[in-house]
Amino acid sequence: MDVDEESSEESDDYEDDDSKDEPPKKSKGKAAPKKTPPPKKSPAKKLATKKDLKNEETEKTENVKFEKPNYHAVAAARAAGPKFAGSKEIPEGEPDCLAGLTFVFTGELDSLGRDEASELVKRYGGKVTGAPSSKTSYVVLGENAGPKKLETIKKNNIKTLNEDQFLDLIRNRGAGEVDDKTLKARAKAEQEIMKQAAELEAREKAEESARKRKEKALSGTGIASKKIPPLSSQLWTTKYAPQNIKEICGNKAPVERLGVWLNDWQKNYKSGFKKPGKDGMGIYRAVLISGPPGIGKTTSAHLMAKMAGYNPIELNASDARSKKLVENGTNIDNTSLDGFFAGKGVQSTTAIGDLRVDSRTCLIMDEVDGMSAGDRGGVGALNALIKKTRIPMILICNDRTLQKMKPLQSTTFNMTFKRPGPAEIRSRLMSIIFKEKMKIPANVLDELVKGANSDIRQVLNMLSTFKLGKTDMDFDEGKQLLKMNEKNMLLTPFTIIERLTGPYAFSKTNKETLNDKMELYFHDFGMVPLFMEEHYLKTAPAGLGSYAGQEKDLKHLELVSKAADSISDGDLVDRMIRGSEQHWSLLPLHAVTSTVKPAYFTYGPMRSQGGPGSGFWGPSFPQWLGQNSKQTKLQRLLTDIQIRMRLRVSGSRQEIRETYMPLLATKLVMPLIDDGTDAIEDVISVMDEYYLGKEDWDAFVELGVDTMKDDLITKKIPSATKSAFTKQYNKSDHPIAFHKGDMFASAKKKIADVGPAPDNEDVFEEDEAPPDDEESVKGEDPDEEVNDVSKDKLIKAVAAKGKAKSKVGAGAGKKK
Amino acid sequence: MSLWVDKYRPRTLDELHYHDQLSARLRSLAASGDFPHILFYGPSGAGKKTRIMCTLRELYGPGVEKLRIDQRVFVTPSNRKLDVNVVQSNYHIELTPSDVGMYDRVVIQDILKEIAQTQQVDLNAKQRFKVVIINEADALTRDAQAALRRTMEKYMNNMRLILCAGSTSKIIAPIRSRCLLVRVAAPTDDEMSKVLHHVAKKERFHLPDPASDAIISSSSGNLRKALLVFEAMKMQRPDLSGDLDVAKPDWETYCGKVADAILSEQSAQKLLEIRGKLYELLSHCIPPTVVMKTISERLVEKVDDEVKKQIVHWTAYYELRMRVGSKKIFHLEAFVAKIMMVYKNYTLMGMMDDIDMF
Repeated sequence: MDVDEESSEESDDYEDDDSKDEPPKKSKGKAAPKKTPPPKKSPAKKLATKKDLKNEETEKTENVKFEKPNYHAVAAARAAGPKFAGSKEIPEGEPDCLAGLTFVFTGELDSLGRDEASELVKRYGGKVTGAPSSKTSYVVLGENAGPKKLETIKKNNIKTLNEDQFLDLIRNRGAGEVDDKTLKARAKAEQEIMKQAAELEAREKAEESARKRKEKALSGTGIASKKIPPLSSQLWTTKYAPQNIKEICGNKAPVERLGVWLNDWQKNYKSGFKKPGKDGMGIYRAVLISGPPGIGKTTSAHLMAKMAGYNPIELNASDARSKKLVENGTNIDNTSLDGFFAGKGVQSTTAIGDLRVDSRTCLIMDEVDGMSAGDRGGVGALNALIKKTRIPMILICNDRTLQKMKPLQSTTFNMTFKRPGPAEIRSRLMSIIFKEKMKIPANVLDELVKGANSDIRQVLNMLSTFKLGKTDMDFDEGKQLLKMNEKNMLLTPFTIIERLTGPYAFSKTNKETLNDKMELYFHDFGMVPLFMEEHYLKTAPAGLGSYAGQEKDLKHLELVSKAADSISDGDLVDRMIRGSEQHWSLLPLHAVTSTVKPAYFTYGPMRSQGGPGSGFWGPSFPQWLGQNSKQTKLQRLLTDIQIRMRLRVSGSRQEIRETYMPLLATKLVMPLIDDGTDAIEDVISVMDEYYLGKEDWDAFVELGVDTMKDDLITKKIPSATKSAFTKQYNKSDHPIAFHKGDMFASAKKKIADVGPAPDNEDVFEEDEAPPDDEESVKGEDPDEEVNDVSKDKLIKAVAAKGKAKSKVGAGAGKKK
Repeated sequence: MSLWVDKYRPRTLDELHYHDQLSARLRSLAASGDFPHILFYGPSGAGKKTRIMCTLRELYGPGVEKLRIDQRVFVTPSNRKLDVNVVQSNYHIELTPSDVGMYDRVVIQDILKEIAQTQQVDLNAKQRFKVVIINEADALTRDAQAALRRTMEKYMNNMRLILCAGSTSKIIAPIRSRCLLVRVAAPTDDEMSKVLHHVAKKERFHLPDPASDAIISSSSGNLRKALLVFEAMKMQRPDLSGDLDVAKPDWETYCGKVADAILSEQSAQKLLEIRGKLYELLSHCIPPTVVMKTISERLVEKVDDEVKKQIVHWTAYYELRMRVGSKKIFHLEAFVAKIMMVYKNYTLMGMMDDIDMF
């Protein structure tokens, strides 16, 4: 934007000291003059944009008057993504042109999304932080910037840029223009790295020579020993395993506590584990370490055990750990004298594999949560073991909240390892990289660490593989490497959907190919299409950007309809895959039609579900599954009803549902609503006529929709009527169309359980004879019972008679 | 307290009210002693089952009406337990293999063969063969139908099949060629009114013509529906006079609401709402084709002529897809989305040309 425009616009909100001095940092001076005036996007750009324009310099404002920001509005706007996504060209800058600079983004930019922008910064070596501080080099201001941030900016005198200026900065800034401070810091870091690398180098040399010596000695004695592999051929993870506490990345506090606990163990053992000690660990014989993979749990355990003078024995999922083996194989009683008598190098008898167990042993149980089927009783036995162990035990697992880990909760001290941040890992990795003579910039490394979820092991493995081909890596290669290794992680459908339909899923800056998208489907090709189907109506498609009003709605419908068509195509393909033909080779086509294509049409931020305040923004679990099982259930109920009515009615299930049920409802359900208890007699007689039981009545109500919906109906029937209905129904006997096979089975079982017969006798009698009924009815009941099974026509007559009589009887009873 | 439709169901061929020629032919078939496999087909509510039962009665006497129901449990190759309900008398057995969906072939292979391999036990029976009725024969999978072929020939001595289907189009040709095809057409309006008046006479009241006409027009050739509607109407208005609007079943009104929702607002949000309604209809056992048809009919009633054409076209288009596909809701939803788009486009621009029908 031009200077004059700025000055004209600054009038309303701000008062500047008009001296347009050059920004203190040289880079800005270079960038500013060259920039071209970008087209003003729309008059809607107000406050915030104006702000950007002028605050290259200090803003000394008297009236920063903001309305209290509506959190939901802001969240919604943020989710909605940039207003004119992809409208500006992303410049190709010199590598590392932002090195040493720290950026803060606030407000909404016009064309870049927040993620895109911060990725840009990182790509060129810059740093992005969340909140502005005195160390921030630039703040990139967008529309509706946070008032709090603006205040800080003012206070700390931070330079601000608008989006175009930011892009120009990338375009024009030379490579590696770094100020002294950064240079110094960098040099210092480099020195540190070099020192560490030298250390590594020295250690490696020492080990190598030791190995050579040993080999020589062994070859002299003629003992055919295993050849010790040279260090250079070992995996990086072993080669660079930390050798002292300093080298462990992150989790300093828990590691230290582990060391203290191990050191105090013997003391605590003597005192019988009664004294909790300073940190309360003194009462535990074992420690349970939990945390995600690849952050050094096992390494720390080994290291600390060694440093405390123990001889660590590790048992992990590759060893059988059944109850018996756990009890016999481990020398937890510490009774073996083996260690004393066995000379060095002689296999001991109580060893597991080739591990020796002697007095100073520490048992490390790795992957405890992996104890399963083969290790029957494993966790239980382990727990018993812990209670009587005479050696320290360190248990390691990934997830201690699992049900099967419950027994261990009370007997072990829980120690949680967290993922170390990139900063904690960086120097260690950098020195390794240096030692391996690779060239990887810190920003790329940080991305790698972040992408691998701080899994140091994975990063090391990635690097060692990468080294086979190349020794230096740039930002894009790093991303690529990450992506290559990402496959091994199984994503959940929730994340997959977010990635498929996220605001930038198909935007210009997105570099994923069609294959990448299809790959997402293959993470879980059973569920992802269902999630897609659930989700595609809930987005605000990014493709609608430039439309407005009615036209926008129409366009939206068009996109939705296209997506729905594609999903419908997908179902046809699915039928060919899973139907009788089993064309499994069509899965990729299914991936495109069921998932990628709908995502392409409708990708964009989530629309708010049910207005502000509803809180939930993520994709929801597909209804289809629930609805499908509900349908199966109701279908079964309907089949039951139909087969019972079959003795009277010739219609199929569908006929029953579509034509009989509406009429029967007026005879079975409505009377109870309209007439209450008076109608019960009639209702029951209709039910008997069609051999419907009380459960079928319930099913009948459940099958209704619209005005006959079950919860509406049950609300309308007074509870007194309902209970009277149940009572009345249970009081008398009813014709039964047939007995279900499983009904017999369960009934038999019950009788066997109950044991002595008298109970049943009583029950039957009560059932048979409603107290106030006449003899005649009683006499007929067994008759009815017997004949009902064969269901012949004659019986119908009898049943009717019986009913008639019972009705009369009831009437008589009432009169009495 | 039986419903009229069941109470006044004809039990013998003589009592049947219409299709007299067909009755005569069935009678002579039953008398001939050489009874073939028969495939009854025709729309629902035309009287197929009634005629089957009448024919059986003609064959075996009143004994066939002593029905009993058994539930057979059998295990599929994949170790799933399935229940099949079997309705039988001493002389015949009735199966609905389509109840178990894709496992119907197992039912045909196991149960049918077992029945077919045993001879008639009752020495007093009039016929030496038993009759097996297979309901919803057009819903049988191809595999099941193929399994049926050989059984039909091999066990001709012991058993005759009576298939009951809506139409023959889904029955494979080999089966059709082994059966005598008997079409039971829907009754004409006159025939329906004859039946309605017969019932009215039996119930001892007078049925005025306007009422009869209203019933007939609302039941579209389905006599079962006609009789049920008739009874419902009689319950609502005992005198059967005045303004007779036939009460619509719950699902039909609900489908109507969906149609109204489509016309009231066309947006993704509304579609989401409609999805819920569609799920409800489907989960409550309303067949998806019925849902789509009812909605479409309701839509056609309410829109301008130009849009009608489109709606009918898309209904047909998506109905086909729905029948081919497996997850019905996907196609229903695509249908609604398309209709919304067409309608919105029409209301905004008034022109329909730029939406291509393919």
